[in-house]
Amino acid sequence: MMNKNSASGNAAKAKPITAASAEAAHERVDPITLEVVRNGLVALVVEMTENLIRTAYSPIAAEIKDFSIGLLDAAGDAIAQAPDGVPMFCADLNTAIKKGLVLFKDEGFQPGDIILSNDTETNGQHVNNMVAYAPIFAEGVLLAFAAVRSHWIDVGGMAVGSIANNSRDVFSEGIQLPFVKVYRAGVPDEGLLRIIRTNTRFPELVMGDMRAQISACRLGERRFLDLIGRYRRETVMACIRRIWDEAEVLARRAVERIPDGVYEASCRMDNDGLTLDSPIPLKVKITVAGSDMSIDFSGMSPQVAGPYNSRASETIARVGFKCVTTPHLPTNEGAFRNLKIISPEGTILKAHPNAPMSLFNMAVVSTIDLILRALHPALPECITAGNSDNIGLSNLIGIDPRTGKLFQTFVPYIGGWGARPSGDGTNAVVSLAQGDVRFLPVEVHETVDPVRVREFALRPDSGGAGTWRGGLGVVFVREVLTHCSYNGRYERTLDPPWGFDGGKPGEITRTSVVRAGEGREAALPLKCEDFALEEGDIECLHTAGGGGFGPPWARDSEHVRRDVVGGYVSLGAAREQYGVALDPLTFAVDQAATLNLREAMRHASGD
Amino acid sequence: MQTVTGRHTVAGVDIGGTFTDFVGFNSASGELVVTKARTTPRELTVGILDCVRKSGISLAALETLFHGSTLVINAIIERTGARTGLVTTRGFRDILEIGRGNRPDNYDIFYQKPAPFVPREWRFEVGERLACDGAVVTPLSVADLDRVIEAARAQDLQALAVCFLHAYANAAHEESAREHLQAALPGVYVCTSSEVSREWREFERTSTTVLNAFVGPKVEQYVSRLEAVAAAGGFAGRLYLMQSSGGVMTTARAKRYPVAMVESGPVAGMIGAAHVGSLIGANLVIGFDMGGTTAKASLIEDGTPKITQTYYVNGYVRGHPLQVPTIEIVEVGTGGGSLAWIDDLGALKVGPRSAGAEPGPVCFASGGTEPTVTDANVILGRINAERYLGGEMALDVAAARASILSKVAIPLGLSLDDAAAGILTIANSNMALAVRGITIEKGVDPRQATMVAFGGGGPLQAVAIARDIGIPRVLIPTLPSCFSALGMLLADVRHDLVRTHVRAFPPEDTADLNRIFDELRSEGIARLAAAGIAGADIDCACSLDLRYMGQQWTLTTPIGAERVADEACAQIRQAFNRLYEARFGHSFADIRTEVVNLRVVASGRRPKPGFPRLACRAHGAPAYLTRRVHVDGLGHVECPVFRREDLLALDRIVGPALVEEGNATTVLGEGDALEVTEHGFLLIQVKGRE
Repeated sequence: MMNKNSASGNAAKAKPITAASAEAAHERVDPITLEVVRNGLVALVVEMTENLIRTAYSPIAAEIKDFSIGLLDAAGDAIAQAPDGVPMFCADLNTAIKKGLVLFKDEGFQPGDIILSNDTETNGQHVNNMVAYAPIFAEGVLLAFAAVRSHWIDVGGMAVGSIANNSRDVFSEGIQLPFVKVYRAGVPDEGLLRIIRTNTRFPELVMGDMRAQISACRLGERRFLDLIGRYRRETVMACIRRIWDEAEVLARRAVERIPDGVYEASCRMDNDGLTLDSPIPLKVKITVAGSDMSIDFSGMSPQVAGPYNSRASETIARVGFKCVTTPHLPTNEGAFRNLKIISPEGTILKAHPNAPMSLFNMAVVSTIDLILRALHPALPECITAGNSDNIGLSNLIGIDPRTGKLFQTFVPYIGGWGARPSGDGTNAVVSLAQGDVRFLPVEVHETVDPVRVREFALRPDSGGAGTWRGGLGVVFVREVLTHCSYNGRYERTLDPPWGFDGGKPGEITRTSVVRAGEGREAALPLKCEDFALEEGDIECLHTAGGGGFGPPWARDSEHVRRDVVGGYVSLGAAREQYGVALDPLTFAVDQAATLNLREAMRHASGD
Repeated sequence: MQTVTGRHTVAGVDIGGTFTDFVGFNSASGELVVTKARTTPRELTVGILDCVRKSGISLAALETLFHGSTLVINAIIERTGARTGLVTTRGFRDILEIGRGNRPDNYDIFYQKPAPFVPREWRFEVGERLACDGAVVTPLSVADLDRVIEAARAQDLQALAVCFLHAYANAAHEESAREHLQAALPGVYVCTSSEVSREWREFERTSTTVLNAFVGPKVEQYVSRLEAVAAAGGFAGRLYLMQSSGGVMTTARAKRYPVAMVESGPVAGMIGAAHVGSLIGANLVIGFDMGGTTAKASLIEDGTPKITQTYYVNGYVRGHPLQVPTIEIVEVGTGGGSLAWIDDLGALKVGPRSAGAEPGPVCFASGGTEPTVTDANVILGRINAERYLGGEMALDVAAARASILSKVAIPLGLSLDDAAAGILTIANSNMALAVRGITIEKGVDPRQATMVAFGGGGPLQAVAIARDIGIPRVLIPTLPSCFSALGMLLADVRHDLVRTHVRAFPPEDTADLNRIFDELRSEGIARLAAAGIAGADIDCACSLDLRYMGQQWTLTTPIGAERVADEACAQIRQAFNRLYEARFGHSFADIRTEVVNLRVVASGRRPKPGFPRLACRAHGAPAYLTRRVHVDGLGHVECPVFRREDLLALDRIVGPALVEEGNATTVLGEGDALEVTEHGFLLIQVKGRE
């Protein structure tokens, strides 16, 4: 371990890092009022969330939590974020407010204003994601903003739902509303409302969702003003500054634990969906100095022609940073004061605003995982090995013969999580970006789509071998009951989920098809559009396992034996990967043979 | 509650972690008897018999005994159930372990799913397959079942759960499998998913079936033992067990459906709250239960607590789903035993860590050194140190004071009183989150509500919480500190039946729906008849879970009849739109709807003990003493202290004041106005929120 610089040796702008000095730095806040205001802020964003879920017209908010809700201060810094959205949207509303402050510098804001934006330059994701926000004034002073971003079901463009598989620029993905005041001082802009209504295939749902967002913003405004009415503006703002300072102290303490240095990691994504033999290099560089961290995306691939681009580098960095610093703390700006993000224009994570972005989240998950990978040497006890880093299963699109209507499947990808430094990886979970997104029950899937799932099981031997084994991926075998088109989205087969400290990588995603009547497995592309499947064809998917941790020959032979008894690891793999010889009938460990096998493995690994 | 046998007494027994509570009610005399004994974990019936003995009521005099217990939840949390195997459709034994693949703790890269209750090697796949409409795709393989039997014998399994895909649509394969397995394994507890839940979602249903099997042998044995012990004591009445739904069931049913008892204690209090709310004519009631480690809140509309159809044992993030109708309770980790502590950033926190029963608050002088909410109440004079637990326990006020002074007041630079009052303010603010969670956050206006507060701490804190949230009325019922046991006496026999049947609604033909409703109703009626309920007391409430096509939300829509008449479909559809409108603020006349589940709640009405009416006084006022009490906004004042047993109907008290009774103290702030209702409840108008 390197010696740690003292905090005072760092850059002048570094904040105080000990509790005592932080205490001295912030204003005196009554400790009882502080807790009441802290609860009040949590209650405020939770109530905004419930209100949005309750009043939104389309079910996306409630069902896949595709929203980001927050209260931000007059400068656009996050006071509180609703805990319920997916993790990918981590304190990411600030850019929308900050850009608005610049654009409306001359005109200013008034009570009753509502600003809408899905501008890709600041939003950095698909254009369905629309933010609405309201300025909050007290005694004539702009104090804060209440903001709600939500996924609109359709904003025009070439595809129903606005997420085109084959878009080559943002213009074919839908209409953009770059920072427009849809309400000025409480008065709606009827012309603008007509534009919005005219540019969506589902005007009733979209206008309903917009109203729900506005109503949640207004609720946030009322509740914040209530809080100020009860505890006075200066007190509430002092509590907020104190809560930020606390978060900063915790984030700094966490970074302090990391030895100073430069940490890098890279991997490749398979391709951009267009040029299949051209991998996409991803690289992060992290510099830790004292209690400050910078995450540098300069080494990222240039933007690509296919729809894998985004401008989401800020939220990606924040998600990775939060996972290693303050994972359980309610999200606020203070927890990111010691994070600097370097992200030059023109990369896959900061593509031109006109670049296609519909499948932007593929690069998001691999990059978050790379941040963790880079920090592993510095934080060997705090980082899990590589994850499966995929987002969704293949989409099947066709006509359901039972109803004569179009169907399209949406099922999240679940794969193995990387092994922990002192435990096996979790089996079969969604990616780093998805959090509480849930897999579709087989019984529901078969009822709403013309498919029959033949098998849904853990995939034995898919977890990377290690002292601690990577989590298992799944086997998902699905028969299609009608002719349909298959659209593959699988990634990260060139660079499998990595192991740490001698742990082996997890197995990669594999797909195949058994053609009806032939009974023979044939290749099924990992990435494709409109691959034809016929009635009775069986799609076989094996999702990736997580990476292992530590050398496999050091795994407790009793753990290997139990894995074999449970069928998580095969007899053959126990011997070949772990050097554990088991009796094929009783599964008893052959101690002598195991000792020999492991000695040879240890020797071969050069240890 | 006269019965032909001459037995006049009904009783409820609630076994908690520390104490077993007993409430007996003699319907002839109107007398209520309350006793408490230590819970005896090794042989729970000992604690029950202790309670009965103390009550002076003979078991032979009991017409009905209601019972709730933490037995089931403890067996699950402590994983002390049976060696359980699982039998699934071929290809799906890992459903139980995979779950839904979600990671509800967003940024925790170390998140782990809770371990499954059946290890992989005890999960057996058999050849069989149904389609989503229940049609047989692959017949059941008897040879595969024989292999399961062999393995179950070899592994000495004590219970087997059987859960096949789409068994909600057709139970035949599960039934055949059960018969075959049970015949070969007579001592093994075998249960099928279709007997516990005929609702879709295979993971949730498998989890429910597995937990039912896991606790089955233990509950079967316990209930049999309780029956035997009671019978030996001369008991010849009916014994009912409390379910999470707020209804009760017979012992025979409880042995087959033990997983329904998971929340049997907490929900009984909410049933009581619903009942007393109805007695005073309150349509919107918030049940608020503050105990030692948590506070719980439930919403009750028109006398009916809100029910959730999927409940998570041990919480959503790390818990196990149960498709068991459960009274919806929002819980926060703050109670009388919650610790007040200063975190390493210098902020004062209350809970979620608790002093629990051992060592308990500092003032209990049984080893506790960290200050608790109860200690704060004691040093502020709100709890009478001389009369705690009716004088059974002496409190060490000096130790409580020293602890708050050194652990909170001095480090934060506060006076002792400010520190203690601050602890209560923070505790109230935490508990208010639970109440907000069931009201404001759900769009329910608390200004229309009445809070019924109970549990050891409820009466102490309820008025302050109500004031904070804007609730105008608080009601403290009879026996607030053993209200769960009392609430059981007010429960009906209840069976919830469900069947997933996904079809467009209105359907082309209602015959299918009516066939299923008929099946569900006759099953419910048969179960009630087996419980000795007369036909006239049986009520079947039929409803459809409807949704707009393409959405996942369903709303349970009553059909207002026993069957769906063709001409009623349009009205049901409108009723759904109205429910949707009430919940979401809008509805769609032009989007097609579909039915997902059919539900029947079959209730057997039971006679309810009437709360005896109190006399009134023609003139004069109740007697009181005074004591120094710290009152919000006033500081220490000479505060009138009333004894609840001295109060008569229509007595009025204006705060600041305390009302003390055996195990509880009701605190009125300045200007809060209490009136005693005819049934002896304390109805408080909250100042500033009228």
